[in-house]
Amino acid sequence: MSTATERSAKERWEQEVAQAKPRPQPPTTVSGVPIEPLYTPESLPDFDYETELGYPGQYPFTRGVHATMYRGRLWTMRQFAGFGTPRQTNQRFKFLLEKGQTGLSTAFDLPTLMGLDSDDPRAVGEVGRLGVAVSTLDDIRQLYDGIDLEQVSVSMTINAPAIVIMAFYLANAQNRGLDWQKLRGTIQNDILKEFHAQNEFVFPPEPHVRLVIDVIEFCTRHVPQWNPVSISGYHIREAGSTAVQELAFTLADGFHYVEQTMARGLAVDDFAGRLSFFFNAHNDIFEEVAKYRAARLLWAETMRHTYGASKEASWKLRFHCQTAGCSLQDKQPEVNLIRVAYQALAGVLGGCQSLHTNSMDETLALPTEHAVTLALRTQQVLAYETGVTNTVDPLGGSYFVEALTRQMAEEARRYFDRIQQEGGVIAGIESGFFRREIAEAAYAYQRDVDAGRKIIVGVNAFTEAEEKPIEILVIDDTVEKEQIAALRAIKTARSQEEVRRHLDAIRRAAESGENLMPVLIEAARARVTVGEAMNAMADVFGRYEGAAKW
Amino acid sequence: MTTPPIRIVLAKIGLDGHDRGIKVVARGLRDAGFHVIYAGLWQTPESVVRTVADEDADWLGLSILSGAHMTLVPRVLHLLRTAGLEHVGVIVGGIIPESDVPKLLDMGVARVFGPGTPIPEIVDFLRSSPRRTPTPSVS
Amino acid sequence: METPREILELVERFRKRDRHALSRLLSLTARGEHLDVVRRLVQEHPAQARKDGQHPERVAPVVAVTGSPGVGKSTLVGRLIEALRQEGRSVAVLACDPQSPLTGGALLGDRLRMPSRPDDEQVFIRSLATPGGRGAIPEHIDLMVGLLKGFGFEWVILETVGAGQGETAVHHVADVVVLLVQPEAGDDIQWEKAGLLEVADVIVVHKADLPGADRTEAQIRAMLNLPGLSGPREVPVLRVSSARQEGIQELLRVLEERVRQPRGLRVSAKSRLRALVQDRIQQAIESMGSRAEELAQQWQEGGLSDDQVLREVLAAAEKSLSAPFAARPDESAR
Repeated sequence: MSTATERSAKERWEQEVAQAKPRPQPPTTVSGVPIEPLYTPESLPDFDYETELGYPGQYPFTRGVHATMYRGRLWTMRQFAGFGTPRQTNQRFKFLLEKGQTGLSTAFDLPTLMGLDSDDPRAVGEVGRLGVAVSTLDDIRQLYDGIDLEQVSVSMTINAPAIVIMAFYLANAQNRGLDWQKLRGTIQNDILKEFHAQNEFVFPPEPHVRLVIDVIEFCTRHVPQWNPVSISGYHIREAGSTAVQELAFTLADGFHYVEQTMARGLAVDDFAGRLSFFFNAHNDIFEEVAKYRAARLLWAETMRHTYGASKEASWKLRFHCQTAGCSLQDKQPEVNLIRVAYQALAGVLGGCQSLHTNSMDETLALPTEHAVTLALRTQQVLAYETGVTNTVDPLGGSYFVEALTRQMAEEARRYFDRIQQEGGVIAGIESGFFRREIAEAAYAYQRDVDAGRKIIVGVNAFTEAEEKPIEILVIDDTVEKEQIAALRAIKTARSQEEVRRHLDAIRRAAESGENLMPVLIEAARARVTVGEAMNAMADVFGRYEGAAKW
Repeated sequence: MTTPPIRIVLAKIGLDGHDRGIKVVARGLRDAGFHVIYAGLWQTPESVVRTVADEDADWLGLSILSGAHMTLVPRVLHLLRTAGLEHVGVIVGGIIPESDVPKLLDMGVARVFGPGTPIPEIVDFLRSSPRRTPTPSVS
Repeated sequence: METPREILELVERFRKRDRHALSRLLSLTARGEHLDVVRRLVQEHPAQARKDGQHPERVAPVVAVTGSPGVGKSTLVGRLIEALRQEGRSVAVLACDPQSPLTGGALLGDRLRMPSRPDDEQVFIRSLATPGGRGAIPEHIDLMVGLLKGFGFEWVILETVGAGQGETAVHHVADVVVLLVQPEAGDDIQWEKAGLLEVADVIVVHKADLPGADRTEAQIRAMLNLPGLSGPREVPVLRVSSARQEGIQELLRVLEERVRQPRGLRVSAKSRLRALVQDRIQQAIESMGSRAEELAQQWQEGGLSDDQVLREVLAAAEKSLSAPFAARPDESAR
């Protein structure tokens, strides 16, 4: 029998661990990745600080895209909002700006997201329900009325008809006498993740991607401070992917956009600095932080070495972050406040540039003003009270976080290879590769929860017999009628001849392959609607029914 | 003689494309021995009812996360009745405010399942509900 | 389980072309219930057709569409539905997917790819789970097809995963078997597929917009020209792209033409197998040169038994297997 002194500290620890009885739930991440009981220098063989981490604001940006991060400037607190008529959303925007929010984020209703006008028969029951209804230039005018668009940065979450909405936005800015050079904001305009995850697409993948590139190309030349695409992993994760899938599929989508834009003849350094990202912040703090850090590393090395970008701005992955909607529960909804707070912490520890915190009532309905205010307050407490902003990348150098960051990057690279084998991103969409991967991950997660291998507070543990209902926002049924009446009035007042002429121009531009943005801006002025513009393009591009396998 | 598998049509009606939940439920019911007919996204009340009729389904599961349930669900129920398919049980899943649940049940929905419902709960509910046979004749 | 009265009522409603009655009778048939009633009902149909002066076999062509998972069967069937509807034809589809041998559960998602407007009474789609794994087709499929024909559908399409074990059944119920293959990324089509080719009356190189379609088509044609496979009939090979909507009309025309061919001209898979084996053995004997003469002599004189002779011939045949393409016989050898 050996004594304690004869054995190394490590051996003693290992023996103790081996004898200890583990808890019933396996120690895995939210994504199901097994985690070691302890990380030590041995977990990081050949670790090289300079090449793997470096300094913040410097290649490869693992520790952050800015030298001082939140010591210089806090992240932008950007709460997604939108419902009802443009006028109602305009009021919510002004309310949020008053409460101290620093940027706007526009949510559109489902008909608009699908490129349908408010008076389309398929839109019945959905007008203004999950976001604001926008069919014409007048709707955009009312939406941002009285807001200084040269000062406030505006984000618009829209994809399939993104190019049409962007055209409306630019036409509106011009009408207000604003300088396009000074406009700041982001349009999501990321169609690839729609095919993988969210299903808000209209055309087949190839022409749809072409429209994305049209926006990137036009903004690069004319709206230089605008982010023409927000390459999004958020929805991929919401659809049930693992953290690694979110990371890998999002970056693969980004690389596809880079290649397609370069194929237009744009130099990579002319546009790459304006590509922005959007990631999910889920419950597992360290897994999320590792994901953001790996994302910065992978983007920087690929932009530099694969695409030959030479400007630092082209290497930097800047991202917006939103807490995970899919993690929210309808049981004991107030508990969601706590989930959101931890998720927001992960986003900030991971170095996000802007952040949306979900409201606790979002699994029940659209958030009330009370719930939205609490969500914003969560960010403010994080920023001003917790001290996490005092130093850059506070988790950097943690054996655990560095090992997890490495592992995440390696697994993402393996996915890049698999996507190559599938024949690229478009082929992967057509074959259903992405959708299948995500759906299987979602199902595996649900089985873990159902079997109690993962605990969800209030759902499969710590449940309460009696639930106290919380106040929710009810959308007025009159919105749909009001919106349709306004649209009909515009449709009657405009010149039908002019509308026909513009729709022909859209079809011709779609056919010829020229950038569609200029004709769409002109069409916006003639009060061509979102639905009409999309239909004209569909005449040329066709409509897409979705990938074959799910 | 073993009882034949329960046939259930799963569909999303309306415009929302969030299909994580319905796909998880589809896989879960399959693994519990159901025959799951997946009708997919963007279904209209009319197309769903046609699918239920042609597939001779025992159940219809609707997934709606868009908030349009109070418009779309009554329409589906009405069409099922006029088609002589009132024997088909209807369950609804998605984001449904608590206050709407009793209204949906009153209309004839058998059960409403919120986000994150454990699959076994859905399986147990479907298995324990008596299978109804169609009324012998239609007018 | 329906009572006899309910069954009779279903039959009456079916005769009056009540779609729900058709749907319910299909379920009963799939479950093997009241088969006698269904069988009688189905038998009414050819008699009815003859009265109308039509040849029963031409009343409703039955087309089986088969191929590996992911090859795009449902999408192609969807395109065929569109094409048939444009010509004013009614069409019914039985889409078969395997069910889990463990749980009996099944995920049936084929109709997702098939257009069916809810107000179009002329399209009927039914999803079926097939026990017995890949390749099998459901029991009583002949009766289900009979019900759909009897109801008045002008075309019936069966979609099945593979045709391996179910091949004879598929041939029994379908007038034409269409095999879908897709452009292969690899060097050569796997040899297992040769077996599938034997079942097909029409071969479609699907997803023909993808690179490699030419090569795949050429390889299939080369395989079809192998001895034994060619037989007395032609197997058309078509390129179709459902994505680009190309080749659908051509396929439809070929199907119509195939359906019109009298059954006598069609050769069963078994007889094709027999032809293949005969060809190969003959080749083997030729390849033995003068040794064949010797062998025949010794055998005739009783120096060698049947089995001994056969073993030597089979050994010679075995040698030719390693280089299948090289072993093409000259025409005179056949």
